[in-house]
Amino acid sequence: MKPLELLSRDDLEAIHKSSLNILEEIGVKIYSDKALEILENSAAYVDRDKRVAKLPSYLVEEALRKCPKSVRLCARNPKLDVTLDGRHIYGTTDGAGTSTIDLETGERRLPTKEDVARTAIVADSLDYINMYYTCVTPMEVPKNTHILHEYDAAINNTEKHFISGATDQPEPASYLIKMATAVVGGVEELRKRPIVSSVACMASPLIVPLEAIDPSLEFGKYGLPVEVMTMPIAGANGPITVAGSILIGNAQFLAGNTIIQMANPGAPIMYSSYPLSMDMKTGAFSVAFPEASLITVGHIQMAKYYGLPSYGGGTISSAKVPDEHAAYEKATNALLCTLAGSDVCGTIGLVENYSVLSYEQMLIDYEMYTMILKMHEGIKVDDDTLALDVIRNVGQEGHFLTQKHTLLHSREVWVPMLTDARPYLTWKEAGAKSVVERAGEKVKQILKTHKPEPLDSNVKEKLTEIIKDAEKNIANTS
Amino acid sequence: MSQKIIDEIREILPTYDSERVLKLTRDALAQGLDPLQIFEQGLVKGLLIVEDKWTKEEAYLPELMVAADIVTKGLEILKPELKARNEKRRTLGKVVIGTVEGDIHDIGKNIVVIMLEIAGFEIYDLGKNVPIENFIEKAKEVDADVIAASALMTTTMTVQKELADAITKSGIKTKYLMVGGAVTTKEWAEQIGAAYAADAIAAVRVVKRLLGVGD
Repeated sequence: MKPLELLSRDDLEAIHKSSLNILEEIGVKIYSDKALEILENSAAYVDRDKRVAKLPSYLVEEALRKCPKSVRLCARNPKLDVTLDGRHIYGTTDGAGTSTIDLETGERRLPTKEDVARTAIVADSLDYINMYYTCVTPMEVPKNTHILHEYDAAINNTEKHFISGATDQPEPASYLIKMATAVVGGVEELRKRPIVSSVACMASPLIVPLEAIDPSLEFGKYGLPVEVMTMPIAGANGPITVAGSILIGNAQFLAGNTIIQMANPGAPIMYSSYPLSMDMKTGAFSVAFPEASLITVGHIQMAKYYGLPSYGGGTISSAKVPDEHAAYEKATNALLCTLAGSDVCGTIGLVENYSVLSYEQMLIDYEMYTMILKMHEGIKVDDDTLALDVIRNVGQEGHFLTQKHTLLHSREVWVPMLTDARPYLTWKEAGAKSVVERAGEKVKQILKTHKPEPLDSNVKEKLTEIIKDAEKNIANTS
Repeated sequence: MSQKIIDEIREILPTYDSERVLKLTRDALAQGLDPLQIFEQGLVKGLLIVEDKWTKEEAYLPELMVAADIVTKGLEILKPELKARNEKRRTLGKVVIGTVEGDIHDIGKNIVVIMLEIAGFEIYDLGKNVPIENFIEKAKEVDADVIAASALMTTTMTVQKELADAITKSGIKTKYLMVGGAVTTKEWAEQIGAAYAADAIAAVRVVKRLLGVGD
């Protein structure tokens, strides 16, 4: 399907050129000494006192040329590998929330490692979810090794690709790499089969945070893909206009990419965008107000303009609970961004601006996502799909239910998991349950019955040892 | 006598290979097997496998319909031999069926007809847009146990009530009226003193319950 384009070629060029202008003339503030050193060595203009680097446009464009045009996200089970190539849409869980709506009580509470394990089981069970991004950050584990506990809980419960959330030091990243190495069976094997990737979140306006870049440099050394994410808030830490926030976000992406490519040429990168817009009355933010969705489409188009995989938009919302608000924000954003051709556009499970996990929402989002995936297939027109012969065969006043053509194509039709299209009475007899109630029942059933392929017991033990080792060696600041 | 071919019919039917099932049906007849056996132990049992899968939401509606269509076609092949041997399927009851006057939406009614027929009911299908008096006349003529009337539109739903009243007034022996169709509900059926079936599988269940037959 031809992607939806809201920006013209001229618009894209204008955004690109203005981005180069920003990076060369205004520069970016960089909180990482390592990154400043890399840029100094690459002939950027670095003011060490102000920690500001100005990046010549040839450097930024050279960095873009070094990026692989497609990115492979491998899985513990090679059958579940995916390649982001700009032509396919993939689904993931959303992350990294800081609160959980308890499945049993419905009350909000702090997330636990068990939540990571349970959401991984759910993700593992869903055919069109291709990767697992840590849904929540567990709060009961030591702060500086939390990503290791997340990986431990995830890899034991899903065979799919793992996306790590943020970490603020390079040390946990190197331990995570050790764990992934143990799972895949060696450093060289990991380079061939990158089974983990990570998120590097740039800050606005024009800031490269330490926690975004140092772990990414570590991941880059091993050829592990990094999502360089940008999330300006239009009118707050980004310009209020859609074009202005596309521009500043794009400049931030280019800054992150330039540092990573100068350090590790050819490091696989995904262009990721999760902007927000503001309620002008209250100052509250939403990830899925129309302007935020438009900025995301702008970034998806920029990624395509650069020939890079994009990761943006999806089933996201500022709603506090799985309700009608969640439904319309999530549906409109996910549909728009999927039609724009975002490579990764699933993002199931979170509410309140990707900060709160709802187990019910995981399945409701999945339902929306599978509907949108079906729409994204577009319409195939050929002799078989036109079905002229079948129409002739049935003639007037017959029906198509017993036609072989119907039977042959019936498995291609979208099938609901939660949506109840039956009449009122049947629905009432089944308990008159809302979609949230049905989702709750279904997710409990999945948790009870879905048994993910267990990890080899030696590997499992090894992972536990690596975490113990990390806990001993990384100073805990919490 | 070889039971093997009947087992095969039962096992192949849920793969929806119409040509093969019908060929096996003809072969079974040629081997001199009892047509009633072929029908009940082969075709119908095969359909029941699909029906069970459909109830569990493993099979889709077109699969159930294609399976039922194969059984209907199979029955056509068996009919002459059934007649020649003077064998009859056990009839569970007589049902006069149609969509009410003013309504030409008959796909649901057609599905009900297929399922009732396979279940063993004698069906008198009056088609669509059927005037009330035709329902009554036919029911009287064949001494029907049940009249089944379908309506899809809110405008024709009320005709079901007129039919209910006409049945009472006519004094015919037919005891039961069953209504169905997209706009109808259990409450509506109760209000007009009729039984309600939400879908074709339910229709078979409801008619069996009304007449106290089968299962």
